[in-house]
Parts: sequence; structure tokens; C-alpha cells
Amino acid sequence: MAAFIIRRLIWTIPVILLVILMTFVMMKQIGGNPFRRSERPVPPQVQENLERKFGLDQPWWQQYITYVKNTFTFDFGPSLSAPGRDVNDYVTEQFPRSIKLGILAFIWAVLLGLPAGIIAALRPNSFWDYGVMFFSNVGFAIPSFLVATLLIYYFAVKFSLVPTSGWPLGVWELDSRVLLPSFALGLLPMAYFARLVRGSMLETFQQDYVRTARAKGLRYRRVVGVHVLRNSLIPVVTAAGPLLGFLVTGAFVIEFIFGIPGIGKGFIDGVRNRDYALVMALTVLLSVVIIFANLIVDILYGILDPRTRART
Amino acid sequence: MRRKTWLLLLASLVAVLSLGAAGCGGDDDDGGEAGQDTGAATDGGGQPAAEQVMTVAWGADPPALDPGIAEDTTSSNILLNLMDPLVKLNPDTLEAEPALAESWDVEGPLVTFHLREDGTWTNGDPVTAADFEYAWKRVLDPELASGYSYQLGGIKGAAEYNSCESNCAALRDKVMVTAVDDYTLEVELTSEQPWFIQQASHHVFLPVHQATVEEFGAQWTEPQNIVTNGPFMLESFEHEANIDLVKNPDWRDADSVSLDRINGRIIIDGVTRVQAFEAGEVDALDGAGLPPEEIERLKTEPYYEQYPALGTYYYGFNTKNISDIKERQALSLAINRKIITDNIDRTGRDQATGMTPKGMPGFDVINPDSEWLPPEGDMERAQEIYAEVANPHSQINLFHNDAPGHKEIAVAVQDQWSELGVQTTIKAQEWAQFLEFLGPPPNDEVDVYRLGWIYDFPDALNGLEVFICDDPPGSTNNSTNWCEPEYDALVDEARATPDEDARWEIYGQLEDLMFGPDGGLPITPIMWYTYPNLENDAVRDTFFISPLDQIDFTKVVVQEG
Repeated sequence: MAAFIIRRLIWTIPVILLVILMTFVMMKQIGGNPFRRSERPVPPQVQENLERKFGLDQPWWQQYITYVKNTFTFDFGPSLSAPGRDVNDYVTEQFPRSIKLGILAFIWAVLLGLPAGIIAALRPNSFWDYGVMFFSNVGFAIPSFLVATLLIYYFAVKFSLVPTSGWPLGVWELDSRVLLPSFALGLLPMAYFARLVRGSMLETFQQDYVRTARAKGLRYRRVVGVHVLRNSLIPVVTAAGPLLGFLVTGAFVIEFIFGIPGIGKGFIDGVRNRDYALVMALTVLLSVVIIFANLIVDILYGILDPRTRART
Repeated sequence: MRRKTWLLLLASLVAVLSLGAAGCGGDDDDGGEAGQDTGAATDGGGQPAAEQVMTVAWGADPPALDPGIAEDTTSSNILLNLMDPLVKLNPDTLEAEPALAESWDVEGPLVTFHLREDGTWTNGDPVTAADFEYAWKRVLDPELASGYSYQLGGIKGAAEYNSCESNCAALRDKVMVTAVDDYTLEVELTSEQPWFIQQASHHVFLPVHQATVEEFGAQWTEPQNIVTNGPFMLESFEHEANIDLVKNPDWRDADSVSLDRINGRIIIDGVTRVQAFEAGEVDALDGAGLPPEEIERLKTEPYYEQYPALGTYYYGFNTKNISDIKERQALSLAINRKIITDNIDRTGRDQATGMTPKGMPGFDVINPDSEWLPPEGDMERAQEIYAEVANPHSQINLFHNDAPGHKEIAVAVQDQWSELGVQTTIKAQEWAQFLEFLGPPPNDEVDVYRLGWIYDFPDALNGLEVFICDDPPGSTNNSTNWCEPEYDALVDEARATPDEDARWEIYGQLEDLMFGPDGGLPITPIMWYTYPNLENDAVRDTFFISPLDQIDFTKVVVQEG
């Protein structure tokens, strides 16, 4: 297992290099002047000073080397688009908030999605099954920004149960402001989990070993708890890794609507304003998150499924 | 039995979660502080409230509170409340008024500011002329690469220092801004510049505390480090979350300031901003714009306010492609601006009748009232003139950037032009690419483009000089390919005319060269901007957004609900 993990970790280096290269090429391809933010032209002298300050007067390969160096020394320098801000600020201050949002949404998904799926699978074609599947479809179909806006309207504006927006800034700090955004973000994975668990459990119920277990006279609860549930969770875990990565990184819209100071806005502004330093830092960061999420999934596989363990 | 277990589990889970929600909500629900009554109450009462605290929602995150490098309106707005500028603009007339400078003398290109002696930094140091000299030279330092350094370009020696590659220290000494003594600041300009005093109200002219800047470097604007000299102090600042200011009790004119505290919430999404206001969490917004789909409803609410802005929304013609003046006249006449402002934009903007917007000093003299820009259009005349066009375009490319609202206006114009028999192809581009596409010179594909102009300082020339000849190519912001030597000569003349009334006359002539009976019509202005805003009863009497997008919190008094 250790060798496997080390091998995977080493592999992340070429992946990150490739991510930097592709991001770099794409950012250069779309063109546009990072220093021109309004209709106002940038006087040539100002443009020159800015280009010198941010190293944009250098040949492209030198700029690429600089980005690579910055990435591996974790010093991304000042932001091009937000004069006076350091890109490292986004990474150290704002990224943890996005992580918190993603994890909370994930908790909603697990807390509600898994039980819902299990209930549906235990009573297929019942009222509960149809109910769960209905909500799962709804969760899939309705975009999160609509859910978010509705939640704010009813829970914050109309009934004043929670504030409309804002976010507890401390890493471990939680208050009522986290409820709506994390729920809105968690709705899709919730629906996804419910569906996945139901399908996977129904399939497992058909397996021979389940029939054997029941034939042996094991109690229903034990059959479900040990044999069915455990094996049904493998596809869920497969989906969960990338999903967690997606939740941590893909919450731009939710962050925007709820005024959460995460990395979402930085990412969007970074691309819009051609802030090479910011985009580079955030892309690398997000790739690292996804890589690690997948790594954890692979490790969990080994624990849940003895067959993979045998192979490694 | 089994089903019941699950049911129970789920029910208890939901109960726990919703209880948690309600509990936390109760604790947190006291956010409105001064004046929750955003609803039906119509009268502000008139009595100052005991607690002078207000919460404002900022529509954008201020990247840095460094006057030398800040370029955005939110930073500017907050900076001008944290700091004490040399001069302030009267919010109504936009005339320069004494602030930290109690008076000034202008003798040709020589400007002398006389500073008050009671200005202090928040660390107790006196504010001196040397602080200004240091701050201005810092802005011009090529290594700081300030985006607004050109604002100081009128000072003798400034351009040379800002573009130095070697010998910078010597050039720095040749920048003609000098602290003659502690309270006298002498500035020598490259020429007589009648607008310089007003310009000095811009945040880039604010002083900085040298020792603090040098000690903390880029970190000097952090709340724990920053040293300011204005009516309010920075208490805390979390990017994209909140920024809180408190009254500076030691400010020279602190007695005139009512507010003890301004809590700032940074809420970037327009819909959320409105919801936060309607939930009573904030007392006012900062004029950063309301969601178009909500405007119709909000306009009927008692808490809706609207301020004129110094900005013009226009369609530019690429005169190389639309080269026949008659064609430009017809296209301009065919646009019904009233339909656009009242039915499409709906933010209460005025139909533009020229480049210079309402609210600009001298507007009545400049009087941009063009016959080619009738508010409701003149389709009949447009068709008549269009019939005389030698080689009319049957197809026109109209470019706009993909920000909200522009497309809807473009579609309306497309429809109006179709009555001339013109087929308009609308092309949207992402902002940075759009700007690159417009040049100048613009890409050949561009026939008509949308742009706006927000004025830096309240002088009509700031917008009029955009349309001087683009010679050498790329040296201006004029994407129309329109080049009129007479216009350029007049712009030069205006720049050298210190007398306001005489200058306004020239601005009138400049408007005429563009939009008069024989004007060149390089652009066709559509509307003049406004700042729509929401303000509750507690603050609406004293809360004011100036045409330059500034909120002066020293004037705000929270009223008893």
C-alpha cells in the first residue's frame, strides 16, 4: 500500500506540470490585456511599467519557467487584476472557506442521500421508493442557483430564520449562515447518492452470496447491514472522490449567490481579467485537490473491496 | 417494523437539523441594527438615533486600500472616507472645496496648496506637505507600476520619472512637487491646467504615511498596520466578506461626523444584495447596480433612490465602414432611445442627446441637444435620409460585450434599424477580447460597437477628448476611425483655457462638431448613466451618491425609526 501511495504521489508532479502548461497555453491563446479593466485605455507608459513588474515583457518560455518555479515554491506573487493583493492570499485565506463549503455540502449529501437511497432500495416500488426517486430527479434537474435563490427568499427574507448571505470566516467556525449554501450545493450529490445507492443495493440483492446468506438463516438486518450495504458502497465511494473534488472546486455559483468569500470569484475574475498568476495558482490548487480525492478513493477501495487489495 | 425504524431515524435527523437551523437563526437575526423598518413606514422621523451605526452593502471587493495603486470605485470610495484629501468636490456642484488644504493659489502653471495645521495621522504624527510629496512621487515610481500614474502626468517631470529606465533617482528629484515647508506644497505643472485643483480630489492624490509604507511594504494596508488621516478608520477587513470602519475621534473635524461605525458587507451578487437589504440586514447599497429583472418592482418601493452619474452609453460607428455621413445620420435617427431606457434598460437612465451627460458642470452651456439624437427617434426622417445614401449597407455587424443588458438593447436597435431595411448581425464578445477587437484601430468586421464612458473627473473634456484623431494608430481610445483636425485643434484650445465659461463654450463647439447639423456623428450616444440604489428610512435623508460614485459618510446621520 505504501509503495502504491508513493508511486501515485510521484505521478502528481508530471500531471501538475502538464496542467500548468495547458493552462498557460490556453490563457495566452485567448488574448486580451490583463491591465485594461475598463473602457479607458492604458497609457503606453503605464502598460510598460506593469508588464515589467509582472514579467510579461519576457519571452513566453521564461514566463512558463517562472510559473513552474512559483508553483513549486508556493509563491504565486502579486495578482495582476486586483492591484495590491497577493495570489497567496486567495490560497491561504479564501481556499479553506471553499473547502469548508464543499465538505459541508458533502455531509448533507451523505446524511440525507445515503439513507434515502437505502430506504428506496429496501422497499422498491413502494411509496417511499417513488418519493425518494422523485426528489432525486428534482435534485438533479433544478439548477443550484435556482434552489439557492428560493432558499434565500423563503428562509431568509420571508421567514427570517437565517441571514441571507455571509459566511463564518474562521476555519472551524460554524453558524446558521452555513445551512442554506451547503444544502443548496449538497442537493445534487444528495440526489446522485440516493440514486446510486438504490441502484447498487438492488443489484447486490440479486447476488448469489446474498441469497446464500439468507438461506443460511441470517437475520435480515445482518444481511442488509453487512453483506448488501458494504458491497453496495463501492460505486458510491468511486463517485464520492471526484464528487468531493467537484464540490470543493465547483461551487462558484453558490459562493457568488451567498456572498461566500471562497475562491470562486477569484477564479472567474482571474480568467476574465487575464490574471495569469491567479488562474495558474487556482488551477494547480484544484488539480491537487482532485488528484488527492482520487487517491483517497483508491485507498478506500482497498479497504472495502478485498479483491483490489489482493492485486496491489 | 423495519420501515418504522428508518422512518424514525430520518424524522429525528430532519428534526435535529431544522432545530439547529432555527436556533442559530434566532441568535443571528439581530443583524439589522439601526432601523429594520425597510417596509411600509414612509417618514424618517427626523430624530437622530442614539446609536449611530449603519451597515452598507458594497457591490465589489476593494482589492487594496492603497491610494497609489487602487483603480476600482469601491476602493476609491472607501479610501476617500478613510483619508483626508487636499480638496473635496461639492457633491452637488462638483466644485473643488477646501479639505486638508485650507486654500490654494494658482499662478499659471504654478499651484501652491496651503495645508491646515491640524491634520493628524492615526498614529499621532502631523500630516505635512512632505507626506504628499512622498506619496505623489511614489505613484510615479515605475516600480510601483501604478495604473493611475498618468493622473499625475500634468506635473512637470512626472512623465520622465514614470518612464525612466536608468538614472531614476535623479529624475525623481526633478518631479516638480515640493514641500516648501511643513504646510506648503508647491506644484509646477507642464502647462496651465485649469482642472488640476478638481483633479487633486482623486484618490491617487491622497497622502500616504511614509514610515508605515516603508516598514510594512505591500502589507501596509492591512488593518493592523494601516495609518490613515481621515474621518474614519479601518477596523477590520476580510476580502470578499466584510470591511468595517469606525469613527476617528481625533480627526480634525470629528465633531461634524455623526456615524460611529460603518459596517460594510461585501455582496457581489445583485440579487443577494437586494435580498440582504429587504431582509433588513443592510441599511443601504452602494449604487453598484440592481438586477434588471427586479428594477420594475423596486422602482415602486419607497426605499428606491436614483442618482445621476457622469457616464455615457453609446454606439460607435467604424467610419471606415459606415463612411457615408447620411447613413450614420439615418441610423442615429432611427434609434428610439425612450423605448430603450423605459422598456429595456429600466434603470431610470436619461436618453442621451449628446456626449456630455446631465450633471456635468457647465451642462447648460455645453447644451448637447442634437437633432440627430431625438429621444423618441424620427423614423420618417431616417428613412428619407437613408434613401439618399449612395451605397447603403444591407447588412451591419453590431458588436457588444457579453455583460448583462447589452444584448437586449442591441436587439431593440436591430429591430429599429430593420425598418430602414438594414439587416443587423449582433455579435457578442467576452470583455477582454472585445476590447482587443476594438483596437483602435478596430477590426474591419466592426461596423458598429457598444461602449460606455465613465468620467474620471467632472470636466466634459474627459469624455470629449476620447474622440481626437487616433494618430499614431493605437495612441487613443477612439475606435471610430473618425479624424477631424478641427476637432483636435479645439480640444487643444480647451486644454489651454483656464476660464471655465470660455471652456464650456468650446465644449459646446466640440459637441457641435460631432452632433451638430453638419456634425460627423462618429458615435451615437444612447443614454446617460444613473446609480439606482436602495436606502432605508434610517439613512435615506442623508445618504447620497455623488455623480462620481462617491459616498460621503461624514454627512450621514442615522435617524430614529
